[in-house]
Amino acid sequence: MIIQKFTVVFLAFLLFNNIPSSKKIDKLINEEIKNVFQLEIFQKENIEASEELKSMLPKNFDVSNFNKVKNGDANIGFYYVGKAFGKVDYFDFIVIFDNDLIVEKIKILVYREDHGGEIRSKRWLKQFIGKTFENELIYSKNVVGISGATLSVKSMTFAINNVLKSVGVLHKNKII
Amino acid sequence: MKKLILITTLLIVSIVVNAQENSQENAGQKLLSNNTNGVTIGGYAQIDYNEKDGHDAGKLDVHRLVMLVGYKFNDKVSFLTEIELEHVKEVYVEQAYIKYKANENLNVLAGLMLVPMGIINEFHEPTTYNGVERPNVDKYIVPTTWREMGIGVSGNLSEASLKYQAYIFNGFKSFADGAGVLRGSDGLRKGRQKGAESVISNANLSAKVDYYGIAGLRLGLSGYFGKTQTDDTHIEGSQVGVSMIGLDARYKYQNLELRGQYITTSLKDTEDYNVLSGKDLGSKLNGFYTELAYNFDLKGEEKLTPFIRYEKYNTHAETEGIVANETFDKDEVLVGLSWKVAEGAAFKADYQIVNNAVSGSDSEKTFNAGIAIWF
Repeated sequence: MIIQKFTVVFLAFLLFNNIPSSKKIDKLINEEIKNVFQLEIFQKENIEASEELKSMLPKNFDVSNFNKVKNGDANIGFYYVGKAFGKVDYFDFIVIFDNDLIVEKIKILVYREDHGGEIRSKRWLKQFIGKTFENELIYSKNVVGISGATLSVKSMTFAINNVLKSVGVLHKNKII
Repeated sequence: MKKLILITTLLIVSIVVNAQENSQENAGQKLLSNNTNGVTIGGYAQIDYNEKDGHDAGKLDVHRLVMLVGYKFNDKVSFLTEIELEHVKEVYVEQAYIKYKANENLNVLAGLMLVPMGIINEFHEPTTYNGVERPNVDKYIVPTTWREMGIGVSGNLSEASLKYQAYIFNGFKSFADGAGVLRGSDGLRKGRQKGAESVISNANLSAKVDYYGIAGLRLGLSGYFGKTQTDDTHIEGSQVGVSMIGLDARYKYQNLELRGQYITTSLKDTEDYNVLSGKDLGSKLNGFYTELAYNFDLKGEEKLTPFIRYEKYNTHAETEGIVANETFDKDEVLVGLSWKVAEGAAFKADYQIVNNAVSGSDSEKTFNAGIAIWF
């Protein structure tokens, strides 16, 4: 009896819920940029890199997901949207840089699996703020872990390291 | 025996020298095909050598070999199974459930799932804990691997740094085919139904909340409440009430790791149950352990971790109508080493000294060595 009631309640609940589609992800990205730069209107511009330069970047870094944020002609910052793997599925994240290439904000945009969702914690993500391409992130040294979410934590650390490294390469080659 | 271990160790060292770096890069390949759907494979293994002090022969055992197969239908819906071979010859299904993601903070899960109680039952992959065998509190008090059929919800509230889980499960079977199942020496362990044509006469509630808002620390509070199952509810005394409460903590500061767990279980109507079945089930079971470990970084991703664990557990902490059996009141010290040679592979060895509360009784000493794999 209890099980039936329980099921009915949740089926009803599910009808009113939805998960982000790609349109919603775009909306989430825009919201984050708005909040970080305190701007209502801005433009996004993709960063272009030569094939040669691309081959110098870490394998998992896709330069087509790296963008400038502009307010008219003025460049005000950068952002990267990436994917990393938890235990059984991918999750999406965004890293926003200011104009000096310092990390301003990191957020998990979509987390799909049940395991490891702890990394969405704002408090945990805060530790990446202020990092630059001169920093190398090392799990359990300058990145604090979360027991029970180790796979996602390590995967995220690896992904952010790749982003920072790539920013360094792009900067040295005067692309950004 | 010691020689054999030494030779094995040397052999391993030579293999390990060529160990691959950066396994993280390959993690994504676990999800075969593309991002939006496909099959995931994985697994874990625990291979043990146990040698009791004295003249007993040692035991070599492929204790657990588990294959994980998952299928992701879309971003909302996935199915996950773990098929287990225990001691090579016994086949079990450890998990088999569908996950429906309702929103960022809510998953609905249904099928055969792990009961969230303490640390090890949910996080039981052998590279995630120290010691060749799982802690004994997680054998006699929490009957790992404890899984039941049910439906529930789970999610993370990232603003509050909380993870919650709540399920309605069927429960332990206490009485079947005219006989009692549960007994004093291991409490509820024999009553696990494991999803095999399991009987349900009463629903049980299980919930856990984890807090991870303080850097390096994770705290858990688990509860499990209900009644055992019987195949004949007309037989009075064939069921017992179960309330289990667990507290657990894990703390990691750089290379230092601490963990601890306390579990207490109260069983109701055990006097009637024991009279009916002729068993010796206790009315209160409890236990705790505390562990200290330090990870020394070796080259690459290799780590050497010495650790010490103290455990105390009693399946007859209280009894009704029967005299408590003091041999069930145990404490133990475990000292050992884990040598992680890759992210998901470790060699382990430990020495275990178990004492019981009977005065003048000898302590039981065991040397354990083993291989732990998780991929």
